[in-house]
Amino acid sequence: MPRKVRLMLGLVLAVAMAIGFMGVPAAAQVQFEAWGPHVDEIIMPIIREQQARRIAFERGESIVWSGLTQPADIDHARTLPYADMRWTLGFHMFYTCFNMRKAPLDSQVLRQAIAHTVDRDNIIRTLFKGYMMPMSSFVPQVSPFFNPDVPTYEYSLEKAAEVLDAAGYKLDPATGTRIDPNTGKPLPDIKLMTPTYEVAATSAEIGKIISESARKVGIPLVHEPTDFNTMLDKIDYHDFDMYCLAWSLSKNPTHLVSFFHSRNDVEAGYNNPGIRNPELDRILDLLDSAPDLATAKEAADAAQLILAREMPYIPLYSRPYIDAFNKTLVTGYVDMAGFGAASYNNPWTLLNIRRVDRNGRPIEGGTIRWALSEEPKNLNYAVASSAYEWEVLNKTADGLIISHPETLEDMPWLAEKWDVGVWEVEPGKQGTVITWYIRKGVKWSDGMPFSGEDVKFTIEFLKNNQVPRYLPNTEHIVKVELVDQYTVKVYFDNVSYWHIYNAGLAFLAKHIWEKVEDYRTFEPWNEPHPTIKGYNQVVGTGPFILKDYVPGEYVRLVKNPNYWRLNPTEL
Amino acid sequence: MGFRSYLIRRLIYTVIVLWVILTFNYILFRVMPGDPEKMILDPNFTPQAKMELRRQFGLDQPPLTQYLNYLKSLVKFDLGLSFSTRRLVWSELRERLPNTIVLFSVAFVGQAALGISLGVASAANRGRFTEKFVVGAGLFAYAVPTFFIQLLLLLAFGYYWPIMPIHGTMSAPPPDGSWARFLDRLWHLILPAGSNILIGFGSWALYTRNTMLEALGQDYIVTARAKGLPRSEVLYHHALRSVLPPIVTLIFMSLPGAVSGAVITESIFSWHGVGRYLLDATLQMDYPAAQGAFYLIALAVIISNLMADIAYGLVDPRIRVGAGAGK
Repeated sequence: MPRKVRLMLGLVLAVAMAIGFMGVPAAAQVQFEAWGPHVDEIIMPIIREQQARRIAFERGESIVWSGLTQPADIDHARTLPYADMRWTLGFHMFYTCFNMRKAPLDSQVLRQAIAHTVDRDNIIRTLFKGYMMPMSSFVPQVSPFFNPDVPTYEYSLEKAAEVLDAAGYKLDPATGTRIDPNTGKPLPDIKLMTPTYEVAATSAEIGKIISESARKVGIPLVHEPTDFNTMLDKIDYHDFDMYCLAWSLSKNPTHLVSFFHSRNDVEAGYNNPGIRNPELDRILDLLDSAPDLATAKEAADAAQLILAREMPYIPLYSRPYIDAFNKTLVTGYVDMAGFGAASYNNPWTLLNIRRVDRNGRPIEGGTIRWALSEEPKNLNYAVASSAYEWEVLNKTADGLIISHPETLEDMPWLAEKWDVGVWEVEPGKQGTVITWYIRKGVKWSDGMPFSGEDVKFTIEFLKNNQVPRYLPNTEHIVKVELVDQYTVKVYFDNVSYWHIYNAGLAFLAKHIWEKVEDYRTFEPWNEPHPTIKGYNQVVGTGPFILKDYVPGEYVRLVKNPNYWRLNPTEL
Repeated sequence: MGFRSYLIRRLIYTVIVLWVILTFNYILFRVMPGDPEKMILDPNFTPQAKMELRRQFGLDQPPLTQYLNYLKSLVKFDLGLSFSTRRLVWSELRERLPNTIVLFSVAFVGQAALGISLGVASAANRGRFTEKFVVGAGLFAYAVPTFFIQLLLLLAFGYYWPIMPIHGTMSAPPPDGSWARFLDRLWHLILPAGSNILIGFGSWALYTRNTMLEALGQDYIVTARAKGLPRSEVLYHHALRSVLPPIVTLIFMSLPGAVSGAVITESIFSWHGVGRYLLDATLQMDYPAAQGAFYLIALAVIISNLMADIAYGLVDPRIRVGAGAGK
């Protein structure tokens, strides 16, 4: 059986075992409805201490114990009879990066040999009790852009030695170190930076395991736990040999451009390995400026194949989303590929979750309690940047498009449809133009109509104010045109399929925000609504309304009576 | 030297000390490894976007300009906008200060009252069970890590015997009615303040016991006893009164803690206070937030010291004369 097939079978088996292990029914299709919500109120107590969150879940004070990462916590949650464990592949990637700018790691053979010395299965088994997914691709498996044909480097010290021997890296019997054929001298110590044990114990341990394994074949890898900020500084100034770190990626493969295009091999750029490959650059340019999905997919596939050969990173594992729901309190939560069942990026759970009665039957209405693990701090749509802030704000906001929970395909939401075309930015230069057809009948939570004017206002507001969080979204926008009340054209200065995601914003209600003097100091949750008593100025189009935010204590959301998906109508 | 010149001299010293602290505050954050914009690890952020962020944070200015702007803002008590939350630092601190002050005050009064009483009792019962118990318990409480005791209490009263709230300063949402709300707050205060009292009483008890033992061996105590004064009068009116000045000093020196908060307690009990804010700001390289919090603490320390100096100068003329004579 070919190695590739064996590896794929292994991967499938691992997923199946993991799913069986977690007690999740191997449902073929995710069940969900595109309307809701079915609860009247969500109270989100802010519980920052992780043991206190566990206690809150066990006392029934939170319907979910979300984002479980510690094996001990996962094991414990599995013993609770009322816990329904949900397991979903995520977009997380833990990796080891090489500095390809300098010898000896400028050698592709040496990087490939080190990749052969990494025993992912052992790392996952010993450090994570099997709760992580082995990863050997540069795009997460759950992404529609994942290329299953990318070759992987199996763990084999014999294979590593073979690769090194064939390339002339002979073992010096006296020192036990390989001789560099380019210099004729033993390989110098190669330092592998990780955060310290105090900051990230498992990352540090992974560094130690990788170093010990590489030394077995004569590669002098030395583990160097480093203060996290110092590590980031060193990476920024390219002062490293190797390091271990993690990324939180997305379904789109545009991170390949950020991480591996030579134009990003600059200070503050993300091409940390310093890979400069003209063929890869050409394909990444194509990926970045792909006019359509098919071209983007083709370019992403090709880029992944080159990266597997060049090996600027060794992808190690991906952390799945593991959440425990209390099934005696709620039902209806939806597993969303890449985001998990309880993530703030999952709008489906929010729409579908229901309380259950004593007999376990779903009931309409009522209150659920859902612990927040951090202080949201700033509930201003333009400024909020942390996941904890969006965990609240996403419940009050909707986007133009939405991702299908299983396939992650784009679905129409606030926009009924959209067209992607091109326009002439200047003679000889084309750009993308996206026409959004906004759904009629959508209202803001204060009852005012939502229209193309709000879309135009939001984009222009964020661009004109150079709002930091939205800089990547707005930097290529040239102008916004309101064709009619429900049709908006957005013009970009270059061609790219990915621009449709640059409109994935939380929209600002024009009738509120046009009166804001300084968006940076605006605290809409503390400002009374200009016309409705008891409301604040956090006005969105989402299924819930922010009723109270008591800093440090709790957030209270109530069902939006003006929500446009309260009833099951056609999308 | 008169009291007026003593006071002026103290005020000048205070301003100099404050300036030195603020300058160190500025330098320390900038020599620490890491930069605020590096905390944004988002592959979508291009180098240009990061530079723009740097400009908006004011970090593209020369260091001296940044320093002068920083001093100017602090004089006006404008603590700026937090890099990470983009909120006014003063608004954020103002939200947290009352919680920290309440927790600290209750814990502090409890620690001091319990510790001083037990210290006096153990000194008065030297060699007996009371002394052995107080010294043993005091040393144990002093030596055991704060978080350990607090997690044990959380586990005991939040999980195995779930009668206490496990987070926050109030129920979510709080009950209606001001009396019910007050009781709710009190209920939430029991574990964090109680654990702090348990952890902190030991040092007070041991210190009081040692100073009391020293005082009880003095000639004037022997004289008082020889005069046939009741035991309690000797103990409280003679011995305790003589050891009060160093204890009062200790109280003054502990006061700035009311502003700086207790990082561990605030973290474990999800208490919305200044200590946790300071820790987060430091970890996230949030210069304005960390500088603002440190500024507040520095002010509290300096004002406490100044108050202690003034009080000493008022009650003990030797201090102000001594300060002048030394010059």
